[in-house]
Amino acid sequence: MHMADALVSPAVAAGAAVVSVAALIVAANKVKKSDSTNIVPLMGVIGAFIFAAQMINFSIPGTGSSGHIVGGVLAAALLGPWAGLITVASVLVVQCLVFADGGLMAIGCNILNMGICTTFIGYALVYRWIAGRSLTPWRIFLGAILGCIVGLEAGAVLVTAETEMSGITALSWNQFFALMTSIHFAIGAGEGIATGFLLYFVAKTRPSLLLSEAPAQSQARETRSLRPVMIVFGALAIIFGITFTWIASSHPDGLEWSIERLTGSTDIINDTAAATRSAFANVQNVTSVLPDYDSTWSGIIGCTMVVILTWAILTCMRHRRHATQTVK
Amino acid sequence: MSSIDKALLTLNDVERISSRSTSAMSVRDVRAKLIVTVAYLVAVLSFPLDNLGGIIIFAIYPLVGCTMADISYGRVLKLSLYTLPFIAFIGIFNPLFDHRPMLHVGTVAISEGWIQFLSIIVRGLLSVQATLLLILSSGFISVCRGLKGLGLPDIFATQLFLLYRYIFVLLQEARSMQMARTARGYGRTSYGMRFWAVFVGQLLLRTADRAERLHRAMLSRGFCGMFPLSHPLRWQWSDTLFVIVWTALFVAGRLCDIPLLFTHIFNRI
Repeated sequence: MHMADALVSPAVAAGAAVVSVAALIVAANKVKKSDSTNIVPLMGVIGAFIFAAQMINFSIPGTGSSGHIVGGVLAAALLGPWAGLITVASVLVVQCLVFADGGLMAIGCNILNMGICTTFIGYALVYRWIAGRSLTPWRIFLGAILGCIVGLEAGAVLVTAETEMSGITALSWNQFFALMTSIHFAIGAGEGIATGFLLYFVAKTRPSLLLSEAPAQSQARETRSLRPVMIVFGALAIIFGITFTWIASSHPDGLEWSIERLTGSTDIINDTAAATRSAFANVQNVTSVLPDYDSTWSGIIGCTMVVILTWAILTCMRHRRHATQTVK
Repeated sequence: MSSIDKALLTLNDVERISSRSTSAMSVRDVRAKLIVTVAYLVAVLSFPLDNLGGIIIFAIYPLVGCTMADISYGRVLKLSLYTLPFIAFIGIFNPLFDHRPMLHVGTVAISEGWIQFLSIIVRGLLSVQATLLLILSSGFISVCRGLKGLGLPDIFATQLFLLYRYIFVLLQEARSMQMARTARGYGRTSYGMRFWAVFVGQLLLRTADRAERLHRAMLSRGFCGMFPLSHPLRWQWSDTLFVIVWTALFVAGRLCDIPLLFTHIFNRI
């Protein structure tokens, strides 16, 4: 789900960055004011643990493929949502800067999609509600699975919104939304089962790790009946089912959509762009000595030639400098 | 090579390249490099998708930057290629749905969708290369110091330092555990969920114990929640010049229609 810079426009990246930075500042203040003195080094090593755990794959039954954890719900379950957010955000910064996994401009989007959604929606609204203080195996598994699914689905919806608002993909909102949410439902379920197993292991072997939140936060961890949870998620499933059916039935498929775009476009911007290109083409037909090449083509060729030439010159300069240094 | 080995190799590469360099790029204040990188990304990413020529010309910055930093551009290009699959996955829908002809090569028409697809790929590669140039010419710790100098909250900066230091240690630990398991696994590379949980859970318990020892050691050495940063950052006139020149070039490249300029040159020829 790591968004690359190529998939966001500067305006969308700036908007997401503002939200993420604001959330991080609030989280930093909350963690600073908390009484737990050992939280900072713990955040560092838990972040490193999530990073290392992501390299160890588990097999997905029946598919022949394997997956790994993302870690948002896990970090929040071990550290609390505020410290968990800072931890996940720091992992995303390392992945972006060192491993080029997710863009620097898109870092705000990635913190929003994978950090805030998993620690605040996935953990705080779902996992903590279900698991609470009662760390029974079923509650841990149900909380982890639903928490991861809801957190990742919320992130997937935001990825769709950010990409569509940036105007990058030719897929319509409905098509992209259906694609992203269906893929991330499966990923969320796998992540949830893995997180559930891991949290259950920790609950059995070192339960104190799961109860390390500040007292104010742990007061909210009360045992609740599972019935309202079932009702809420049942209702959500029905609503999503109806929505997907409506999307599938009321919108044209990809081929019909592309034909509509080719023949019946009413988009003013596209018409204006086409008219501009047509005007340039007419001028070029009169003046051009290379009539086979239109303006876009010669622009691309020219720019590419300049870049290749620059590369060649710089490489020669570099080799020459190295040769001089070797002689010295 | 396992993903853990690859990650360790990349981390070591970044440390090695950034620490040994005394090039013209490396001696610049990291805040100046951060500002220039962000200006570059804004300029590249604000181009309309169908202006492929305008975006290609921006490849000059990573090329010149790599030369200034004394880093092989081939290495940066190779590293940036790892990000291609996800970008291509999103971009590939454009040629599938957008068939409006935009270019002609002889009698073959190239659709706007394909131009947009190439544009998305080039934007993706260039933006990654700019980020890699920043990190390879500065090092991760230095970039964190720069971010702190630009207003990053103390606790987040401390978290980044601790995380980066501990990634090496825990990746080594995970590598040892995985190697031991692989040696006894008769060719298995991934594990069932139950075994995986015990395996990764053990890593977590070791991690928690290590955190406890680390915290005690830090407290005994006077740690009060934040790291004091040694070596204050020094902004020089040359850094101001560096920012002004590059930013002006990016603004000029963004506002001037360079592909149209080449069209005129081609036509005159």
